[in-house]
Amino acid sequence: MTGLKLSNVRKTYGVLEVIKDVSLEVKPKEFVVFVGPSGCGKSTLLRMIAGLEKITAGDLEIGGKRMNEVEPSKRGIAMVFQSYALYPHLTVRENMGFALRFAGVPKNEIIKQVDAAAQTLELGALMDRRPGELSGGQRQRVAIGRAIVRKPEVFLFDEPLSNLDAELRVHMRIELARLHKSLAATVIYVTHDQVEAMTLADKIVVMRNGLISQVGSPLDVYDNPDNMFVAGFIGSPKINFIKGVVDGVSKSGLTVVLPGYQDAKVTFATKNSSVPVGDSVTVGLRPQHFNTTGKMKFKLNVELVEHLGGESFVYAGNGSGDLITVATQEGRGLKSGQKFDAHIDPAKALLFDANGQRVR
Amino acid sequence: MVYTLLSIAAFVSVFPFLWLIVGATNISSDILSGKTTPGHALFDNIVKLTQQVDLVQLFYNSTKIAVISTILTLIVASLAGYGFEIFKSKFSERVFAGLLAMLSVPFAALMIPLFVTMAQLHLINTHTAVILPTVASIFVIFYFRQASKSFPMELRDAARVDGLREWQIFLFVYMPVMRSTYAAATIITFMASWNNYLWPLIVLQTNEMKTITLAVASLLSAYVPDYGVVMVATTLATLPTLLIFFILQRQFVQGLLGSLK
Amino acid sequence: MAQSSGKTTLTGWLFTGPALMLLTFFMVYPILSSLWMSLQVGKGMNFSFGGFANMWRLTQDAVFQKALLNTLTLLVVQVPIMIALAMLLAVALNDPSLKGRALFRTAIFLPCVTSLVAYSVLFKSMFAYDGVVNRFLEALHILDQPIPWLSDTFWAKVLIILAITWRWTGYNMIFFLAALQNIEPSIYEAARIDGIPRWAQFQKITLPALIPVVLFTTVTSTIGTLQLFDEVNNITLGGPANATMTLSLYIYQLSFKFMPSFGYAATVSYVIVVLVMILSFFQFVAARDRRRP
Repeated sequence: MTGLKLSNVRKTYGVLEVIKDVSLEVKPKEFVVFVGPSGCGKSTLLRMIAGLEKITAGDLEIGGKRMNEVEPSKRGIAMVFQSYALYPHLTVRENMGFALRFAGVPKNEIIKQVDAAAQTLELGALMDRRPGELSGGQRQRVAIGRAIVRKPEVFLFDEPLSNLDAELRVHMRIELARLHKSLAATVIYVTHDQVEAMTLADKIVVMRNGLISQVGSPLDVYDNPDNMFVAGFIGSPKINFIKGVVDGVSKSGLTVVLPGYQDAKVTFATKNSSVPVGDSVTVGLRPQHFNTTGKMKFKLNVELVEHLGGESFVYAGNGSGDLITVATQEGRGLKSGQKFDAHIDPAKALLFDANGQRVR
Repeated sequence: MVYTLLSIAAFVSVFPFLWLIVGATNISSDILSGKTTPGHALFDNIVKLTQQVDLVQLFYNSTKIAVISTILTLIVASLAGYGFEIFKSKFSERVFAGLLAMLSVPFAALMIPLFVTMAQLHLINTHTAVILPTVASIFVIFYFRQASKSFPMELRDAARVDGLREWQIFLFVYMPVMRSTYAAATIITFMASWNNYLWPLIVLQTNEMKTITLAVASLLSAYVPDYGVVMVATTLATLPTLLIFFILQRQFVQGLLGSLK
Repeated sequence: MAQSSGKTTLTGWLFTGPALMLLTFFMVYPILSSLWMSLQVGKGMNFSFGGFANMWRLTQDAVFQKALLNTLTLLVVQVPIMIALAMLLAVALNDPSLKGRALFRTAIFLPCVTSLVAYSVLFKSMFAYDGVVNRFLEALHILDQPIPWLSDTFWAKVLIILAITWRWTGYNMIFFLAALQNIEPSIYEAARIDGIPRWAQFQKITLPALIPVVLFTTVTSTIGTLQLFDEVNNITLGGPANATMTLSLYIYQLSFKFMPSFGYAATVSYVIVVLVMILSFFQFVAARDRRRP
């Protein structure tokens, strides 16, 4: 199986630089997810790997070979598009065999490979229909089937689930994860949905403004984000950012006070000495990390409660207008206006400097 | 009020067609004196018409010219419309703007040099001369370019990943996907060619080469036209376009609207 | 996102190439050639350079001036009537509760299926002195004596106007209908809930949506009228007394009817080109102004 390597890759349109300097290594059989807000360059990067966009500078290697100038069809990749891009005038069977037909594969061989893929994806009953007669989920499966038939070394997915409804998206997500296991292939998957990224990826690549913000396993980027952007992008509901000021620096770490929350003074164990006393910093607190016993204490008033059944999201403030989101299992009795104390373990708090970089 | 307006408009629009069919059954003097009831001269009129013109030849000429020029126009114009839309560059956009500017150049300004050119190429009185200048129709190029905007770019990407070359993408993906655009363009191009008058009038000189439209005009321009005969000829000349209209009304309207979008 | 590397640009030109070659040969070259010709004088195929002699001839040529005046008269009278009528019919037909809507639409649209020659036949025969139109108008007591449509200089113009209007109103109506159908129905629903009166709905919602179509149809109709040939050549032959002579017909007659005078005919054709250019300029200005907020 084949890995993939990007070295100092750039993409410019005229004066506009959309991919600034990206280096990344994807191991064989790895499921890598590019995630980021729209316009961050993740789709462009994928299309550059596919050969649909020219690489302005830098190198792309697939399986150890430089692929910058190679035709898309000769890169050993297959791609599943956001709109599925099924040929509307062809049946499912013809769609799946289209690439092989143009590669000069003999007819009976095409039939064999198409049937095999159809079996994997349980498409048997749909083979003679046209895309227009299929549901969204079925089209999705055909698009994946078309990719499988080509036996690629690397699968590329461009926001494949974004056109499906919520329920089907969860279902397809699980199918995709299973498929990855059974095919044992390298996958590069682009999405703006951090839940998809968290659930599917072996390795998440968080992108922003044409640059990689952080690379890591899903839990790694969740627990240990490098900067405020990654912390804010990964995790739902969104992490709470609270402005603070460095109050003291000692051998044991940095002490930070949070104006407006006098019981929430916190000390971060860090050897980093670049943040002097008096500097403004930001403390990140995940909604899920709040409890009733932690040492940091926030005295709040409930503004709004969303009950999801199992858990509740409490939006509570100290009167300044800023709200803190707390996810709790015991929020059923809460009503707006009520007093509400939220606690959190200081070890779970994340510290960011004035530039949004993590202070460890 | 609305119904009165629409009824009058519909009556005025349709009456000449009834007049045409009734006229084909009447003798010339009855037509000129406004007889609106069917007469008994249809057979006579047809016989007289076939004595004056070679109907089979006329229909053959019209059909041949219309079919060939439609096929060529569709190929050339769809290639160009696709090319301008998919392979945009600053320069190609300028060329396209130049084409649009030429869209409004009246044919009268072209016909003299065109005639001279055809004379130099010894193509006067040939169907080639009729067809050639109509093939690169800016209107149809424009129509295909507008339609190409709805051709999904991801389909092109998918085809490239599937290993198709550019011409294969055009032939095996674009053309079948854009079927309805081709259908609409076929209708408007065919009708334009079938109904074309001025240019064929200039380059076609002998009766064996003329189209049915030219024949109708020359019957009408006789010193004392026999209207019964003219009406039969006109009915025959209009029938094909009328049939196409009724069978493919939706594509026809779509074809017209294509230029506005 | 289009790529603009050298290779894909070349591919693009391969697609547009056949059309561009044909257009160069059958469009660009003739345009330039007729500009050159317009500076030539002489009959038949014998040319000599005449400089601005042909333009001087224009100022002396009564037939040309009449043709120009006729063309402009037709334009100024016929185009507005037709556009207004097309818009009126489209608005009437756009009412979804109207019974027989499709039938009305098809009927009104039907004339534009006919060839220009075919409908010339119809109009020439219907508007004969004792013809069906005069008979009908007499029966309705609108007229007490027949109108000499084909032999009176005034009525001949009216006849041409009626003919063009018949042929093209339904065609233009289709564009208005399409624009009306593009208006989101929920906008009208919102207006109704907001209590906007119907005339204000028309003024504030319908009309603005139609203005681009008015522009488009006016320009195409005007260009069409400037090129008017088939009808006048077949119904009136430009007569009586050149009352329906148009520029295109005059160019045709100059070139192909009598002893050909290509140089002068080319000069006349450039008058049309200049008129179209002026018109396109106005259209450009209007379209640009509309795009400004």
